[in-house]
Amino acid sequence: MNDLDALLNARGVSENLGANIITGVFNRLGSHAAFALGDGSLRLSDGKGWSRINAHEGAVLALAPDSTVSGFLSGGDDGKLQRVSIEGSLTEIASFGMKWVDNIASFAHPKSGLLACSVGKFVHLFNADGSKLRSLAHPSTVSGIAFDAKGKRIAASHYNGASLWFTASTSETPRFFEWKGSHLGIAIHPLGEAIVTSMQENALHGWTLPDGKHMRMSGYPSKTESFGFTKSGKWLATGGADAIVLWPFFGGGPMGKPAVELGMSDGAFIKRIACHPEFEVVAAGFDDGSVIVADIVKEKILPVCGPGRGAITALAWNASGSHLALGTESGFAALVDFSRQG
Amino acid sequence: MPDLIPVTILTGYLGAGKTTLLNRILTEQHGKKYAVIINEFGELGVDNDLVVDSDEEVFEMNNGCICCTVRGDLIRIIGGLMKRAQKFDGIIVETTGLANPAPVAQTFFVDEDVKAKTRLDAIVTVVDAKHLLARLDDSPEAADQIAFADVIVLNKLDLVTPEELASVEARIRSINRYAEIHHATRGNVDVTKLLGLNAFDLGRVLESVPDFLDEDSHTHNEHLNSISLSLDAPLDPEKFNIWIGHILQTQGQDILRTKGILSYKNEDRRFAFQAVHMIADGDFVAPWNATDKRTSRIVFIGRDLNRPQLRRGFESCAA
Repeated sequence: MNDLDALLNARGVSENLGANIITGVFNRLGSHAAFALGDGSLRLSDGKGWSRINAHEGAVLALAPDSTVSGFLSGGDDGKLQRVSIEGSLTEIASFGMKWVDNIASFAHPKSGLLACSVGKFVHLFNADGSKLRSLAHPSTVSGIAFDAKGKRIAASHYNGASLWFTASTSETPRFFEWKGSHLGIAIHPLGEAIVTSMQENALHGWTLPDGKHMRMSGYPSKTESFGFTKSGKWLATGGADAIVLWPFFGGGPMGKPAVELGMSDGAFIKRIACHPEFEVVAAGFDDGSVIVADIVKEKILPVCGPGRGAITALAWNASGSHLALGTESGFAALVDFSRQG
Repeated sequence: MPDLIPVTILTGYLGAGKTTLLNRILTEQHGKKYAVIINEFGELGVDNDLVVDSDEEVFEMNNGCICCTVRGDLIRIIGGLMKRAQKFDGIIVETTGLANPAPVAQTFFVDEDVKAKTRLDAIVTVVDAKHLLARLDDSPEAADQIAFADVIVLNKLDLVTPEELASVEARIRSINRYAEIHHATRGNVDVTKLLGLNAFDLGRVLESVPDFLDEDSHTHNEHLNSISLSLDAPLDPEKFNIWIGHILQTQGQDILRTKGILSYKNEDRRFAFQAVHMIADGDFVAPWNATDKRTSRIVFIGRDLNRPQLRRGFESCAA
């Protein structure tokens, strides 16, 4: 079984962080990875050393790269939304009292960057400098948020569907995409052709844009906690099964088209998915702790690490796709270097 | 079995004394850490380190089960609490006065992530001895809260005469004969009778069901009542599954709760069965003792239960 760890051992740096990892991301520059922990701390690494920032009381619930190049945004069950610099300084952007900051997203742009967080039924929208733009109200608690690729729209998932808002508009009503049930997370197609949500009932649901036609993607043995579109937008890569389930978003798909399955495991389920920023490549992390990288075009699988360190809870590429960050619920974290060497 | 965090659901009509009881639990259990999930801040604050404010967000599952409603906010909050490095001795969920307890209870059967980390310990319903009879007449939720209860705290005893108390208690028993009733004034109940009961573990609860109460005794025109059936012959698990599946599918809207401890043929362990409306769950629990009489017992709490029909069905499950 040690063979499965060959890549981690040869090209990875790892650390036991001592508390459960909630999620992990790289900053936009790609110089640092940050891991959010259940003890309220953030752990940053540049691939050499590690630093600790005590960011929240309770648990960190959400983490995203800042819209500026180097920092991060974190939210916690202490109701705080904060900006975190790689040097370790904290700047509070907003505080929501007893309410939890459940989700954070950011959009990078030299002039019109945006930040957003969800707190209860509201999505709060900020300028890149942290000044408040507006609060968007929803019929029930927001479970996921996503900006489109141009920062023109922000989508939120909630009960009975999803809402799509124009970020620059002052309209009080979003475009509402209805589908009965509890929607748990959301993604927007990179070319703006669809929005997709994951659902309580072990399925995903999508709507085409702009016409709003329904797409049902079902058959999962467990909840899809993580999913995303590949760079080109041709594939929607999803977790929740014992293999990476890829839905084709081309040639009329995914309606009436079978999903492609890659990287079948021996009974472990995929908890986290991370699509590569440059190629049609997907990383997948399983509940047994193993991580694989799949090349969709060549249908080849590369093991990154084997099972045994706890379920994967963090998985992210840096912006150039040269490094993969991974973390587990038992506190194991690693950065693996995929860049061409020698 | 991993260490599952026990969850206590505290229900009760407005003004019954839920928050007073909650604060008493929290003060008496010092040294233990509880997460408290409340819906609204009442006039009385809740005195605890970790109080989570929630909106009671109920949604319908798309699983073909028409009455299957679930509290999505609880799934989210429990998921969030489980992310904390610091662990809890228990979680207490206080519902609003008008809440139907079914969605809260069903959440613990339906969601895999919640099931993997927590277990429903008991549903505790606080009732106001002085005003219960009036509430039962004017609001269906009050009766549902009694029907769902594993434990009933009969509060504000100082406000009623012994005669009034007897009639209130008889009325409770006519709805739910199998809940434990504790008397209280300003919520002064021994906390060990409310927490860590494993009431959903059933064995102990059903074994204490008194047989002599089994004659149908609902004297009010209450549609809600409870019946218990027992069978000394071992059961055929397949026959039982087919029968109970059919009963819950066809009558699950009216059957609020089902609990059973079953003796299967050629099986030394007890099988614990339970359901909330149509959603059922079951597992083998501790083995029968050598001296036990292996009697299967099943309890139904619901509306317009047809005892002879249920009894015939249960008896037909004998191996």
